Amino acid sequence: MCPHQDLSAAATRQAPAGRPTDADRVISMRNLQHHFGEGELRKPVLFDNHLEVAPGEIVIMTGPSGSGKTTLLTLIGTLRTVQEGSLEVLGHQLRGATRAQLVALRRELGFIFQAHNLFDSLTAYQNIRMAAELVDPGNHQWHHRIMQLLTELNLGQRVHYKPGLLSGGQKQRVAIARGLIHKPRLILADEPTAALDEETGRSVVTLFQRCAKNEGCAIVLVTHDNRILDVADRMISMVDGRIKSNVVVQIAAQICGFLKGIPIFTQLTPGTLSEVADQMRLEKYPAGAVIFHQGDAGDKLYLIRAGRVDISRTVGATTRSVAQLGQGEIFGEMALQDDAPRNATVMAITDLEVYTLNKDAFRAVIKRSAAFEEEIRKVIFQRQ
Amino acid sequence: MRLGRTPLARKNLTHNGPRLLVAVSGIGFAVVLMFMQTGFKNALFDSTVQVIRSLDADLLIVGSAQYALPAKQTFPRQRLYQARGCRGVAAASPLYMESFFAVWKPSRADRPSGQPEARPSPIRVLAFDLSAPVFCLPDVIDQTAALQAPNTALVDRKSKPKYCVPASLDEVRRQRGAELSDRSIRLVGTFHLGTDFANDGTLIMSAANFAQYFPIRAPGQDPLALVDLGIVQLQTPQAADGVRQQLEEILPDDVRVYTKQEFIDREIGFWRTSTPIGFIFRAGTFMGFVVGMIICYQIIFSSIVDHEAEFATLKAMGYPDRYFITLVLQTSLYLSVFSYLPGLLLSLWLYQLLSANTGLLMMLSIPRAAWVLLLTLTMCIISGCLAMRRVLAADPADLF
Repeated sequence: MCPHQDLSAAATRQAPAGRPTDADRVISMRNLQHHFGEGELRKPVLFDNHLEVAPGEIVIMTGPSGSGKTTLLTLIGTLRTVQEGSLEVLGHQLRGATRAQLVALRRELGFIFQAHNLFDSLTAYQNIRMAAELVDPGNHQWHHRIMQLLTELNLGQRVHYKPGLLSGGQKQRVAIARGLIHKPRLILADEPTAALDEETGRSVVTLFQRCAKNEGCAIVLVTHDNRILDVADRMISMVDGRIKSNVVVQIAAQICGFLKGIPIFTQLTPGTLSEVADQMRLEKYPAGAVIFHQGDAGDKLYLIRAGRVDISRTVGATTRSVAQLGQGEIFGEMALQDDAPRNATVMAITDLEVYTLNKDAFRAVIKRSAAFEEEIRKVIFQRQ
Repeated sequence: MRLGRTPLARKNLTHNGPRLLVAVSGIGFAVVLMFMQTGFKNALFDSTVQVIRSLDADLLIVGSAQYALPAKQTFPRQRLYQARGCRGVAAASPLYMESFFAVWKPSRADRPSGQPEARPSPIRVLAFDLSAPVFCLPDVIDQTAALQAPNTALVDRKSKPKYCVPASLDEVRRQRGAELSDRSIRLVGTFHLGTDFANDGTLIMSAANFAQYFPIRAPGQDPLALVDLGIVQLQTPQAADGVRQQLEEILPDDVRVYTKQEFIDREIGFWRTSTPIGFIFRAGTFMGFVVGMIICYQIIFSSIVDHEAEFATLKAMGYPDRYFITLVLQTSLYLSVFSYLPGLLLSLWLYQLLSANTGLLMMLSIPRAAWVLLLTLTMCIISGCLAMRRVLAADPADLF
């Protein structure tokens, strides 16, 4: 769909001190590979996967069955042993961790399985309590919190019912409450809304969003329920054991929004737009930094995400500022168009964040649009 | 509100009533089986020493070659006189026992009509010097006076039916025509003692009458000169051990001296080790144990399989293995206690029924009940340990 996985990775690499680093990541996965069986029966299921998930992020994972989403989820959930690559969850390296470490880490995770897996012999309240008392049996707050969660999930009247007297959707909501009761820092959910009608599914999703926003809880959802796709901060699509696309929805939407406002891109279809956005990388420059000098070879198109730049041109001995550009505007396109050196120097006036598109990608996009050259000329003409 | 631990083991067991009932019946059956086997074994052992328990004795003198009560081995009455001379001895009295030459022939009138004539059967006869009472059975003490008449005896109410002992005391006293070793005999009363391996019925009479019935015990001599058991009463029963040592020193080697408890232990020890009885009933108890273990294993195992996904979910939450070990052991404990209690009640009822109908001494003492409880607990815990593997193997990775 939209920008590439490197987008967030780039943001991380270039982040100044104080911004989230790897240690603050809820999930940090590098080169993760996995296989089932050994010897002749060895069957690889995951290949070289990278993923970073920040606190408060809601990640929706999709993909056909057999694509490895479930395996990825069980690996993140410490339910399988990491074989190759690196996987850090909540700052703990899972590869080579002892069983006791994994079991301790699980208490900071919240699991919501496709099946509710509630004990028939316990009431809704007691089932949820099983999760609470494991984390802190002495805490006096649980009763209040259990009642509050059940009420929010519209189960206030069913607190002391056993699962046998609850409908499928009600059981699923009890299981969700059980997964959330102990305020986990990472929730892993497998089709949590599949058994729910639209309204209750929505209330569950709202609850997820609140956990993410208020408690900084990261949520990884495997789902095919397109009624809830709108809550995703990031969409991951898996095919054949690989993360095929990893899109930060908000950034993609922002880029598309910027591009739409720029004359040369207005003619592009939404599909082409998102493809352009998909190719873009984030770069950051401090105030005063020169992005390129007049006479440099042109290799990139720049789209300003935040900040302002000054464009100056040197003719003979005099240097003259010709324009200042701000958020949502592009520069650097002329050199790409004519394969000419840069005809101006661009300097950041403030701290600057730009999305860049390299020359090859830019040209590929141009070919898709018949009207593109015309547009470009128009833009250049207007600027002069 | 503070949270305690959710009693998951108990909840899971009691959730499904019919299923718990089946489980408890199965394991309870094994409990009853073990109770019955140990009950029979103890009944047999208890009954053989019942006669010793009924003696008012602090110490017992027996012939040194006697290895068990039914093995007839007499010693000279002289030894009792010698014993009386020992410090601390209050009385040393003879008890005569005859079961070899004693043959009981029921009275014609007592036989229920239509039954063939009862054949004469051997019976155990106990006799004592009326001036030196040796029994602590209240019935015997009360009726001692009646035994002074010639050809009289008291009969054990719990004797086997083949002796045709009438049901009521009046009928017993009225009956005529019974014979003991071809001499007419008159029953003047009853007492309660019970049967054992060697004896189906018992009579108690005076030593004087005993001499009349069994001169054959010592042809040409005084039949009372040879004693079967010497009953020693002490001035202070607490001094039994000391006096016993003294007596052993004073008396020649043809007799041995035991305290009452030692003698009881020796008797039970004989039956336990020298006969297959102990082994047979141990094997029976073991069968009950194995049956119970298999049933218990099945119950625990299937309850684990039914909850496999839930247990795996608990594992995913971060419950450690130790929790599941405790859980299964708790389940075992609950199952054993739930099954033991009804098994105990049923066994008590069966014990009563059996002792009323067979005359066996089915006694349920606290140590014996505790022994079966221990067996039940062990049985269920072993089953739990066998089933444990299954719950530890539950894999949360299969849940997604």
